Amino acid sequence: MTAPATRAVVTGLGFITPIGNDRAAVGASLRAGTPGIAPVEFLGNPALPVKLAGTVKEFSVDSPRWRDWSWPAHYEIPRETLRSLAPHGVYAVCAVLQALADAGLAPADIAHDDRTGLFCASAGSAMLLHHHVAAMHAVRGERGNPLGVVSSIAGTLNFNLAARFRITGAVVGFVSACASASHALGYALDELRLGRLDRVIVVGAEELNAETLVPFAAMRALSAGTTPATASRPFDADRDGFVGAGGATALILETETLAAARACQPYAELAGWGQSADGHSVAMSHPEGAGIRRAMQRALDDARVAPSAIDYVNAHGTSTPVGDRAEALALRAVFTDTGASPVISSTKGLTGHPLSLAGAMEAGFCALALAEGFMPGNPHLVTPDETCTGLNLPRATLLRAPRVVLNNSSGFGGSNVCHVLRVL
Amino acid sequence: MSPTPLPLDPPQLARFPEETRAAYRNFRATGDVTAVQTVVLSAVREHCPRQTALAAADFAATAGLRLVEDLGYDSLAIAELVFFLEDLFAVSIRTKEIQAIATVGELRGFVAAKLAEKSAAA
Repeated sequence: MTAPATRAVVTGLGFITPIGNDRAAVGASLRAGTPGIAPVEFLGNPALPVKLAGTVKEFSVDSPRWRDWSWPAHYEIPRETLRSLAPHGVYAVCAVLQALADAGLAPADIAHDDRTGLFCASAGSAMLLHHHVAAMHAVRGERGNPLGVVSSIAGTLNFNLAARFRITGAVVGFVSACASASHALGYALDELRLGRLDRVIVVGAEELNAETLVPFAAMRALSAGTTPATASRPFDADRDGFVGAGGATALILETETLAAARACQPYAELAGWGQSADGHSVAMSHPEGAGIRRAMQRALDDARVAPSAIDYVNAHGTSTPVGDRAEALALRAVFTDTGASPVISSTKGLTGHPLSLAGAMEAGFCALALAEGFMPGNPHLVTPDETCTGLNLPRATLLRAPRVVLNNSSGFGGSNVCHVLRVL
Repeated sequence: MSPTPLPLDPPQLARFPEETRAAYRNFRATGDVTAVQTVVLSAVREHCPRQTALAAADFAATAGLRLVEDLGYDSLAIAELVFFLEDLFAVSIRTKEIQAIATVGELRGFVAAKLAEKSAAA
């Protein structure tokens, strides 16, 4: 098999995340190990065992009515867009505007461009869906908000962003739970390699509210921790579940040729990707991490790099007992057993876990790490789990430049995705 | 008809001018449908794709304005405006009824008639 003729590069990043709402703030938080986790209370019930979350600052989107929302004033979101938007869509519009500007593009440059596509990942808006369905029941179906469907169902993100940015190349949404945004980025690379598109805007977004997060408490998947500095502690022996998070990240992925024509300086190359399925459980990882191991191996093969070439792995590591164990075993199989020892960290220790958004946010972190020359650490790790024996899990961020990095994601149903990003 | 009583100060109007909310409260207190004229005009202004056409216009000046041709309403924006009014006044408006309305004045008259009909039926 010959190497793909087309190289794809990340040229723009837009971050609305718990650890910062722009590239500079995110980079500073990653270098300093500053968490974005804060106390929360849902449903007016202080008895709930959900005390913390990776919160999005400078936004207020808790109301089901868009007229009540607020966001940083320098982002223009017209009424025409707001009327059909979900709360996570507000984050996403801001992230896309930011990423376009970062890539040296104006919204007019991508509008009606048949070679630009939009690949999105979100779980829809459970809050708005509940709001509209409850209203429907209250009036026995006699009337309803005409924008209720497009503002709330799975796909709301792609519907709205495609309309807002006048996308004509392609628009699609990915739904594989916590692997969704990673699938969006992986398939974006394929579209560029196949020559179908020259540029894809990849967006992940999730809202943080009771409807999105509290149901995970019923699964016993959330940390009951009350201390922001330790609740999310991936790979620690005392981890007790994930800390939820919200936000959005947008990446501009384009062919190297298109980026060069604009004389823009890309962050990194997206050199390959791989995916796999566990074939095991609806919600639990394969106990030996067989699926995520296969995804990593496929990504390495696709990018034509050996395990020993990997300097840093941004692990999925959500801080759940079962998931982290599976991934640790997979990392040992891929790296330790072949004599490789990349730096490994899960940045969810700082951000919490933003579900569908995770893969895009962390691919963005990887691109930033490659461009700015650092490798994020695991500041909340105290006692590594025994399954992590042999893994290189530094506490502090290393101010050392990686050359090739991996980004892991896994989702419900045993869906696994891994990206390889390379320095330029 | 809604089984839940409508609030006198509904959240849908929370971001509207005090004049609009006062008019709504007046209608609810007195049942006087002329009081809703201010609310309807305010809703038309709020949902209008071309805001400038309505900037400082009063009842007389807006009566003849056409929703589609003059104010830029498309079918989605009209549906949104109609739902806003349905939700606010707890009435149901049929698609055929909407299609018969072309101007702001006709909409105001339609809402007044609808509320009078609802009040007579109650």
